[in-house]
Amino acid sequence: MKIVGLESLIFGVDDVRGAARFLVDYGLTPVDVSDRSGRFEAIDGTAVVIARQDDPALPPGPVPGCRLRKTVMGVADEATLGAIAAELRRDREVRRLPDGSIESIDDSGFVIGFQLTARRPVVLPGEISNAPGGVVFRPINSLGVPPPGSVIRPRSLSHVVYFVPDVAKAEAFYVNRLGFRCTDRFTGTGPFLQPGGSLDHHTHFLIGAPPHMHGVEHFTFHFGGPSEMITNGYRFVEKGYQAFWGPGRHILGSNWFWYFNSPFGCHIEMDADMDQHDASWQPREATASADNSQAFLLKMRRKWYPGPGIPENGDYA
Amino acid sequence: MATTREARSPRWLRLCRADEIGEAQSRGFDPDDEGQDSLFVVRWQGQLHGWRNACPHVGGAPMAWRRDAYLNAERTRIVCHAHGAEFMPDTGLCVQGPCRGERLIDIELVVDADGELFAKK
Ligand code: FES
Ligand SMILES: [Fe+2]
Repeated sequence: MKIVGLESLIFGVDDVRGAARFLVDYGLTPVDVSDRSGRFEAIDGTAVVIARQDDPALPPGPVPGCRLRKTVMGVADEATLGAIAAELRRDREVRRLPDGSIESIDDSGFVIGFQLTARRPVVLPGEISNAPGGVVFRPINSLGVPPPGSVIRPRSLSHVVYFVPDVAKAEAFYVNRLGFRCTDRFTGTGPFLQPGGSLDHHTHFLIGAPPHMHGVEHFTFHFGGPSEMITNGYRFVEKGYQAFWGPGRHILGSNWFWYFNSPFGCHIEMDADMDQHDASWQPREATASADNSQAFLLKMRRKWYPGPGIPENGDYA
Repeated sequence: MATTREARSPRWLRLCRADEIGEAQSRGFDPDDEGQDSLFVVRWQGQLHGWRNACPHVGGAPMAWRRDAYLNAERTRIVCHAHGAEFMPDTGLCVQGPCRGERLIDIELVVDADGELFAKK
């Protein structure tokens, strides 16, 4: 099944204006924003959609506390849409919506939708590192650090991470019914999952968790590279948003990460430079711990040379 | 929260003027200059309440989603914007979310005769 990845995530929020400002400050482009709802797009058109939590058009979340109301995946062709509908109709309701998409529910209670992907093709070079002996270099006289004031925008909706009460059952649904494969796994926690139409290390990651945590841990967009992503993160912090973990680089997936609190009842991440894998890849297994999750974690230094304003006992104290 | 004249002692940290925090408002403070607010104060039903900015769900996790934004839109609950845990503003009890039944860590506050708000170190 050619599921190409996430197309949009739909949230019900208690403060549309605040959430809208948050998403614009994150770097997304607002489309059709009102006091009741809004759509916020990355460069390729993948998006976060928000609506007031009492909007009757919103499907229910898996549990009352979960603000994520629907996960929409993009598919490459009508044949895939038909195949998914036929597969899921074997044991559950599948609705065809007026926009041609289909809607159903996964085995953990998350409402899922599938539509022909509307991703706009993007041709925009990613970040390039200059290295002695390298083959590809940045154009001469172009700069590696995004200059102040440069526009940084997320490129594409990357992945979502669910807390699920029965991780084996949740994984079986995506693997056996929708053709995802496990690329890597945290023992006792859950799998990283890649759909059939994507090479990304993961579009979904499942975490087994007690029922009262059922919901979302985070979601994220891909940025053009680590320098862009981290620059964007610092700008976000300067605007007053609360960082949670990062910036750093994950081991499984190799993606650079920076997590922030959000008004969506879950974290939001910025990510860049994720590994790609095909069917020849052999899944690894690791125990979930901070040590196994971060290759390194960076810390900003406000001052890096001795001078006026440095405390007596130094900046390392 | 007490009113006292003894607040100006090394045991107490000055935060701000008490009347700068209006009804159903919250504000974070970083008295030790850690680069991140270590405590926050909410005024709820007239009373000021001080809490550590540390969610009981994941040890020490900071809770606001934006500077000073610790409350839900209806301003009836303190919310941890990491995974959505909701707490009562006056008792710090988690009433919904992943750490239901646990409590925020309380910070003792006093307002002196001049209306200045202090937190106990
Ligand atoms: S860290 Fe606060 S709800 Fe998870
Ligand atoms: Fe992630």
